[in-house]
Amino acid sequence: MSLEIKNLHVRIEEREILHGVDLTVEKGQTHALMGPNGSGKSTLANTIMGNPNYEVTDGQILFNGDDITEADPDERARAGLFMAFQYPATIPGVSVANFLRLAVNARRDEPMKVKDFGKFMRENVDMLKIDPSFVSRYLNEGFSGGEKKRAEILQMAMLKPEIAVLDETDSGLDIDALRVVADGVNALTGPDLGSLIITHYTRILNYVRPQFVHIMLDGRVVREGGPELADELEEKGYDFVREEVAAGNA
Amino acid sequence: MPEATTGTTWLDDLRAEALKAYEAEPVPTWRRSGFWTTSLRDLDLDALETRHYELSDIPPPALADALGEDEVGAIIVQRGATTIHVEVAPELTEQGVIVCSLETAVKEHPDLVREWYMRRLSHEEGKFAAAAAAFWTGGVFIYVPKDVKVERPIQTAYVIDEPGVAQYAHTLAIVGENSECSIREYCLGTAIDGQALHAGAFELYARPGSNVRLAHFHDWGPDEIYDISTKRVEIARDAHVDWVPVHLGGRLVKQVLDIVTAEKGSDMRHTGLYFTERDEHLDLFTTDRHEEGHTTGDTVWKGALTGNSRASYEGLIHIVPNAQESHTYLQTHQMLLSQKAKGDAIPSLIVETDSVSASHGGTVGELDEEQIFYMMSRGISRPEAVRVLVEGYFEEVVQRLSDEGMKGLVRQRIARKLEAAEDQVAEFIDSRVRVDKTAPPAEVAP
Repeated sequence: MSLEIKNLHVRIEEREILHGVDLTVEKGQTHALMGPNGSGKSTLANTIMGNPNYEVTDGQILFNGDDITEADPDERARAGLFMAFQYPATIPGVSVANFLRLAVNARRDEPMKVKDFGKFMRENVDMLKIDPSFVSRYLNEGFSGGEKKRAEILQMAMLKPEIAVLDETDSGLDIDALRVVADGVNALTGPDLGSLIITHYTRILNYVRPQFVHIMLDGRVVREGGPELADELEEKGYDFVREEVAAGNA
Repeated sequence: MPEATTGTTWLDDLRAEALKAYEAEPVPTWRRSGFWTTSLRDLDLDALETRHYELSDIPPPALADALGEDEVGAIIVQRGATTIHVEVAPELTEQGVIVCSLETAVKEHPDLVREWYMRRLSHEEGKFAAAAAAFWTGGVFIYVPKDVKVERPIQTAYVIDEPGVAQYAHTLAIVGENSECSIREYCLGTAIDGQALHAGAFELYARPGSNVRLAHFHDWGPDEIYDISTKRVEIARDAHVDWVPVHLGGRLVKQVLDIVTAEKGSDMRHTGLYFTERDEHLDLFTTDRHEEGHTTGDTVWKGALTGNSRASYEGLIHIVPNAQESHTYLQTHQMLLSQKAKGDAIPSLIVETDSVSASHGGTVGELDEEQIFYMMSRGISRPEAVRVLVEGYFEEVVQRLSDEGMKGLVRQRIARKLEAAEDQVAEFIDSRVRVDKTAPPAEVAP
């Protein structure tokens, strides 16, 4: 069970953003993909999920061995992929509960009974320590940054993906909200989930410990290692990596 | 030419004046700045006739689907030119509530009708207003005396189910002081092979301290039914009217909808919805008119367009001189769902006094592809995502419908229209995605 990205080239409009990315996330693993703004991290997340505004010009995305490079986002989701959005869309007029029910039922042959769904939702709401009234609000409408991320984590918990890509799930959060998100991710992490945490800062990595760290610069993965790489980055910053790469290429 | 006399002198005099106006007026074409024109050139007016029908113990079966099964306090149905069905629950009669055809009311309640008839309407508002005033038959009269709370809704229906019909309609409703009631009027057409016309007038007087929930549900069906109507609501001191007009079909609909807060403390909420498809043409002009100070208003109109349809909504807030301390706002939104649909949504404002708060806003937009991507990333298929987004967009309006039956009906009709338009909506969304997935991959420099 894995997500494999092979030699991925992606462009948006006329500009190539990713210049050949290779990355593999196995179920049960936690990866961190780090990089400065504009390095292509969000492009990678969006492309993995099949955002139609991103065009794959070369390379492949394999999910459990199947080529999903051209698959529609809903097929990818039903296969077991999930993306927590950096900026999740607002869905006016649709409550969190209704949205969750649609999403949960989209991957089932028979829709879940209303009562069973209610119970299932309550269990997850409790587990993530979310205020029960939260689910009757319209999804993301008027939500604070922290509430949006919480809604993303709640969806992730209920959709039970095999592989989750968390795109800057920590951005714009104060320390309390960050803890809530990190606790949620930790609660879901286990042998049934592989995750790719995409982040600019090392903050969230103080709470979620990845086994693998990848550093992205200018549309390429330039360094890979274990958790110590994040510590090194924390200490030396992206400029150090950039200089190192320049020296290596020289 | 339909018969203009009724045997009641004062009314016949008014009808004679209206007939003169009708004959003097040419068939209008409505133009507004920009591209908008509403024209009746495709309507063969001379081929239409008023048509009478047998009375019926039950509402026409074609309507059962729309009218639902919830219990109503009164129901009155006009088919073509004839009031075919009237049913009033005994408790309403005991409360002094009158629901009957306007024809009957002219005879049985002449003073009441004469006091209120056309107080806020005029036959000088154009050819079709004149036609309705000169030729109406059947009609609806609703009278709720003061200090009465009517529990169950009063339901009226105008039905066209045959081609060649001209239906001239008039509803007059008076809700007495401190009374409460819910009125819902249906304008329904079935599939007819040909043309028909509904020229209607509606007037409601909400007397001081009253509270009225009013809904208009229009669905003239898939064929060539034209609707040219004027509806006007007057709200007296400390009264409140919550008005929800819904437009879900008709070859060409041209309506003027006005709501007047006429005395201090009057309050209105006006929430409309439309969905046009195929080659339908909808032209709505609403006015939120504040004639006195210390009045309040809240207007929201939302529409969606598919197919080759045209929809124009113009909403005016008009605050007259000396109506200080009026507080009101108006918002209008329109969502395009196909490449060929065209529309506009124009809020406007005339304020002739100071010390008021009045704001307005309008948007014409499309489905947001980021919202669709977001929903699809949760496993929801695109048609389902579109349906949910459009339903969510309309939900604010649907929530303001007071009864569950009509909420369900509106949701169901919208879902059906979206299903019918699934392919064109998909094509439209694809056309706006920046990447052309059908094009072969371009060469990328290594």
